[in-house]
Amino acid sequence: MLVFDHVSKSFGDLRAVDDLSFEVEAGEVFGLLGPNGAGKTTAINMAVGLLEPDEGVVRFADEAFDRNPRDAENRRSLGLAPQSIALYEQIGGADNLRFFGRLHGLRGSDLEERVVACLDFADLTDVEKKVVSKYSGGMKRRLNLAVAIIHDPELVLLDEPTVGVDPQSRNAIFERVEQLRDAGKQVVYTTHYMEEAQRLCDRVAIIDRGRLMALDTVPALIGAHGGPGNLVVRTGEGESRHETTDPLGTLAELQARQAVDHFQYLPPDLETVFLNLTGRALRD
Amino acid sequence: MNKIVAMAAKDIHILFRDKLGFFFTVFFPLMMAIFFGAMFAGLSRGPANIPIALVDQDRTSASERFIERLGQASGLAVEQIPREEALEQVRRGRTAVLVTLTPGFGAALDNPFVTTPEVEMTVDPTQFAVAGMVRGVLLEAAGAELQDLMSDPARLGAANSQNSLFFESLPPSSARDDMLTFLDLSPRVSSLIDEMGLGAATGGNQGFFGPPLEIEQTEVQAERPGPTNSYATSFAQAMLWTLIGGSVSFSMSIAIERSRGTLMRLLVAPVTARHLLAAKGLACLGATLFTSSALITLGITVFDVRPTSYPLLVLALLCGSICFCGIMMALSVIGGTEQAAAGIGWGLSLPLSMLGGGMVPLFLMPEWMQRLANISPMKWTLMAYEGAIWRGFTLNEMLLPCAVLVAIGVIAFTLGARRLRWDTG
Ligand SMILES: Nc1ncnc2c1ncn2[C@@H]1O[C@H](COP(=O)(O)OP(=O)(O)OP(=O)(O)O)[C@@H](O)[C@H]1O
Ligand SMILES: [Mg+2]
Repeated sequence: MLVFDHVSKSFGDLRAVDDLSFEVEAGEVFGLLGPNGAGKTTAINMAVGLLEPDEGVVRFADEAFDRNPRDAENRRSLGLAPQSIALYEQIGGADNLRFFGRLHGLRGSDLEERVVACLDFADLTDVEKKVVSKYSGGMKRRLNLAVAIIHDPELVLLDEPTVGVDPQSRNAIFERVEQLRDAGKQVVYTTHYMEEAQRLCDRVAIIDRGRLMALDTVPALIGAHGGPGNLVVRTGEGESRHETTDPLGTLAELQARQAVDHFQYLPPDLETVFLNLTGRALRD
Repeated sequence: MNKIVAMAAKDIHILFRDKLGFFFTVFFPLMMAIFFGAMFAGLSRGPANIPIALVDQDRTSASERFIERLGQASGLAVEQIPREEALEQVRRGRTAVLVTLTPGFGAALDNPFVTTPEVEMTVDPTQFAVAGMVRGVLLEAAGAELQDLMSDPARLGAANSQNSLFFESLPPSSARDDMLTFLDLSPRVSSLIDEMGLGAATGGNQGFFGPPLEIEQTEVQAERPGPTNSYATSFAQAMLWTLIGGSVSFSMSIAIERSRGTLMRLLVAPVTARHLLAAKGLACLGATLFTSSALITLGITVFDVRPTSYPLLVLALLCGSICFCGIMMALSVIGGTEQAAAGIGWGLSLPLSMLGGGMVPLFLMPEWMQRLANISPMKWTLMAYEGAIWRGFTLNEMLLPCAVLVAIGVIAFTLGARRLRWDTG
């Protein structure tokens, strides 16, 4: 279980992560949602031990152990897919997997089994021999993700794994992430796309300027911070928009006054949650 | 260990996949070896002055005068060294001829009328042409000595009074008396000739006395002749260039791992910084050992290069690679980015190679540059390679360059490894 306990990290005067606390459970996809520069990557880097927090602690804890992410032991149980693609472009996809597998102590038939499984996971079996520099952006993304799980880690950290990927590949990645969750992994998923967080994440931490603004399941976040939804109706007089928490009641009311030709209900979403929490839109 | 080997193997794999790295570590050195080998094979080889070793066992002013005369003779570079060392040099084929002035040489030179001066010449039979030339120079020098003697009444008088004493001690006979009369007159020979107005027309007087010098020649079979061919030199240089290419490529690889983000993955994997350093070192060592061995193997099999000692060649290969892996580590610290690593790597390597004889052979450089060359690791690398390929070094002679190489390698690696940045940004 990954634990952030009042963790802060500054770069000079800039507080990139400010008093961040959360715990990630097994079998859940934990979302870190925030705009560019919110501190997501900084938090991930502390989770994997690449950065040391200035204040607070990051732990990898269980009933049996309680480790610092800098422990080599701990590194066997975590897998990172960095935000920018980190692969050896001059060698093939399978060779990349094989190399990182070996680094994690895999060898022989165990290694080959994992390589085959991960190629399949990333849907790259046909191009396993092709050098990575000849892969498309989406293929590289999927391999970037596959390399993170070659050693079958407990904790998988995916830093914006869908950047620069077409909708089809993006859906493929979503499916992979769900597979990981179903296999009982802890998945930390950072994104600035609220649709992704909404679709994938069991719980979402909304962060802005390094600070945790809210942390809960998506419905709970919307319930608490989403405010009213919008009912859009079209009548003979044109289109109108009505804020409401009771769309059916509002619709009945409107229909009593005049005939409604068409209506659409827009429930509150994470976008509105973010707007309500920060006063700013998630995407600028 | 498995992890270190895995990382090293990956690096080597990538090096040979990388076109630029492959060019500098394999293709460029090979082209150099063939190009320069062919070029120098076409030119007439052999320096203008033939080096000969000289041992003066006589140690008189006359023998010193003779040596000075030899030194002035065009075509010879005379080096005075102890006899044992000189014999060893002939045996190794590093000197074609050894000339020994035995005791009594000087006395005979000053008084050639009783005993003809004699020198011993030890030659490598394969160098018969050189021996013939040295023979000519020796005879010429002795002839000039004689001419000087004959035209110097004081010296001639001294020699003759010495000889007169000898003849006077013999029992009286008419032959003895004639001889004494002749000796009495002989210092005046040149003035008599002048009086008759003949001057230089007679071309000297040695005609009276037969050959001015007797040369006793012995042969010593050289065990190891000089460079078998010009490829022996050019392949040694090529091997140096593959070390340089390899070390620069690997020094870039750490910076490349940083910029491509793979360093981040390595640091997140269960390996330590020590593992990473060991892997980089091992990869560089493995790759440069492989390429330098491959080059010399090609030289041996295709270009008829014949190393004088295979065990020493292996030693030289190993020490050269160790040195340049250390340099690689130092370079990767100095150059934080791949461009900087490449720029600094080549920027330092080129002048140091030039200085160390990687382009123009050292012996063509002025004295002070040769001394300055001691700071160039390339010089020591070439010395070790050439020592094993054609200079016929003994193990003892090999120890100096090898020790220097290993020392440079270890120091540079340690300094580099200590100061390497492990951050990922
Ligand atoms: N090494 C660093 N040195 C200085 N400032 C840094 C460093 N790394 C990050 N920052 C700053 O810290 C803040 C948080 O950056 P971080 O990369 O964690 O954001 P992010 O949420 O991952 O953003 P994005 O969605 O763009 O990836 C930013 O303002 C960034 O400029
Ligand atoms: Mg980021």
